[in-house]
Amino acid sequence: MKYFLQNLLKTIPVLLLITLIVFLLVRVTGDPVSLMLPETATDEERESLREALGFNDPLPVQYFTYLSDLVRGDFGESFRYNTDAFALVLERLPATFELAFASMIVAIIISIPLGILSAVKRNSFLDLFITGGAVLGKAMPSFWLGIMLILFLAVNTQIFPVSGRGGLLYLVLPAITLGTGIAAEMTRLIRSSMLEILGQDFIRTARSKGLKEALVVNKHAFRNALIPVVTIMALQTSTLVGGTLITETVFAWPGLGQLLVQAVNLRDMAVVQAATFLIAIFVILSNLIADLTYRLLDPRIKYD
Amino acid sequence: MVEKLMNVKDLKVRFKTEDGHVSTVNGVTFNVNEGETLAIVGESGSGKSVTSLALMGILPPNGEVYEGEMTFNGKNLRTLSKKDYRALRGNEISMIFQEPMTALNPVFTIGYQIRETLIVHYKMTKEQANIRGIEMLELVGIPDAEKVMGRFPHQLSGGMRQRVMIAIALSCNPRLLIADEPTTALDVTIQAQILTLMRNLKEKSNTSIMIITHDLGVVAELADRVIVMYAGEVVEEASVFELFKNPKHPYTKGLMASIPKVHDVVDDLYSIEGTVPNPTNMPSGCKFHPRCPLADVECKRIHPDLEYVSEGHAKRCIKV
Repeated sequence: MKYFLQNLLKTIPVLLLITLIVFLLVRVTGDPVSLMLPETATDEERESLREALGFNDPLPVQYFTYLSDLVRGDFGESFRYNTDAFALVLERLPATFELAFASMIVAIIISIPLGILSAVKRNSFLDLFITGGAVLGKAMPSFWLGIMLILFLAVNTQIFPVSGRGGLLYLVLPAITLGTGIAAEMTRLIRSSMLEILGQDFIRTARSKGLKEALVVNKHAFRNALIPVVTIMALQTSTLVGGTLITETVFAWPGLGQLLVQAVNLRDMAVVQAATFLIAIFVILSNLIADLTYRLLDPRIKYD
Repeated sequence: MVEKLMNVKDLKVRFKTEDGHVSTVNGVTFNVNEGETLAIVGESGSGKSVTSLALMGILPPNGEVYEGEMTFNGKNLRTLSKKDYRALRGNEISMIFQEPMTALNPVFTIGYQIRETLIVHYKMTKEQANIRGIEMLELVGIPDAEKVMGRFPHQLSGGMRQRVMIAIALSCNPRLLIADEPTTALDVTIQAQILTLMRNLKEKSNTSIMIITHDLGVVAELADRVIVMYAGEVVEEASVFELFKNPKHPYTKGLMASIPKVHDVVDDLYSIEGTVPNPTNMPSGCKFHPRCPLADVECKRIHPDLEYVSEGHAKRCIKV
């Protein structure tokens, strides 16, 4: 717990740095005023809006204002929707989490059995098939896979809805689309991690005890092989929260990635800042959780 | 009662490698009698560890027994089903390994690893297995056994881990314990403790022990009978007294001469010239001839049989 709190404190400078970087990037990508006013607006009108929004203040002053608002939980207002930017982002979170969670489940269901199997049957035809499949899964662009899934499973056979967010059925295709790429990476990782562990002395000990091979592989080996896999899972989960734009677009999934890209295009500063801030917090959190999981999985790791 | 508990006849083991099959055990014959301690001695690469893994049925995936007989307590191990073999392993035949640092699973507690065998073979409940586990740890001289049950391997010293390994191996009262260099990785003082422990445990139970070692000190300490292996073959077999008093094979003599003696002052330690031949490139005739001080043309040509020179004493050499 002490470790957790210490690390939570360490994230404060990281978050501060992120706000600074995003703040600057948003301001170098162009003037939002020109997009907010109609093309017929006069220079005076533009100038007065700029003045009203505080864009004429020196950058340090602007950043300081932004930070002090942030501390009070005020992320500013969206130019586009004229509502609280943070509320807008929060509204998208459930959809994003739902998809991220479902994709991770898909990835886990696919990769764990395949990874173990391909390690146990190494260099067999099955192993070749699985590792080949993993390369394919990684190389396949997600938008293409998404479109193919829609074509075969939604349009032609009408098993699943084409797009949008609703019940469980709506979740299946986008989750498979996102989960496949992650599954491919995780399968390869589990395979190599299992191969390394299966050659260890304690596996021979486990066999010499007369345990069933399934127990040797799935318990003695897998518990050890899981340790590096957890890192990748945590990193993947955090990318799932921020970086699923393509899949969200293909399936018209109302998630955070879609909102963020729209906001970037419209130079909707407050929304961009609020969304990146939240994604950053999530990335940090999932890394912390990975750290804590290590401790559960590997008793040799000590923090203190 | 079967007098010969483990009977190995003409055992041959080979490994599949990229260059085809490589045979590392080439017709090994020996037996382990009820209640006796048999030592298998030889340099690294002489096939002694492979022989023990073959007997346990846990050769690596690329290894196989391709000829010979292995009979344990009247059961033919080569035709035993996987399930029956499993029922034997860790139960009637158990094994301790050379490296106590890596032989225990790092992510499970000592308690889990000792209970596991008992639950599998004796169908004990967790509570029963726990009680028995603590008893076993106490038997092998681990202080605070109850606390140690909750510890992880990395929290124990090498000597303690080897004691844990012995406790696990003995927990199901095996009839045969195979110990593959159980003291090699330990400090000298700990070695002595582990050897004493093994001897005491043997006196209490009727377990036969097959100890694999390259340390003739260990042999003298523990063994009743010794077989000396070289390049995948038995080159000499004798009772421990006979072997130390009257070694026949030049290789055995070489091993004996390699032991430094306290009263002799010498500048150089004796060593047998050369190294164990590579299994992919075995010499013709007697496999020891390139390193043998007695070798002549005959030795290059004739591969000698194992011959008895007296009751229970056999050697594989035409020169002595």
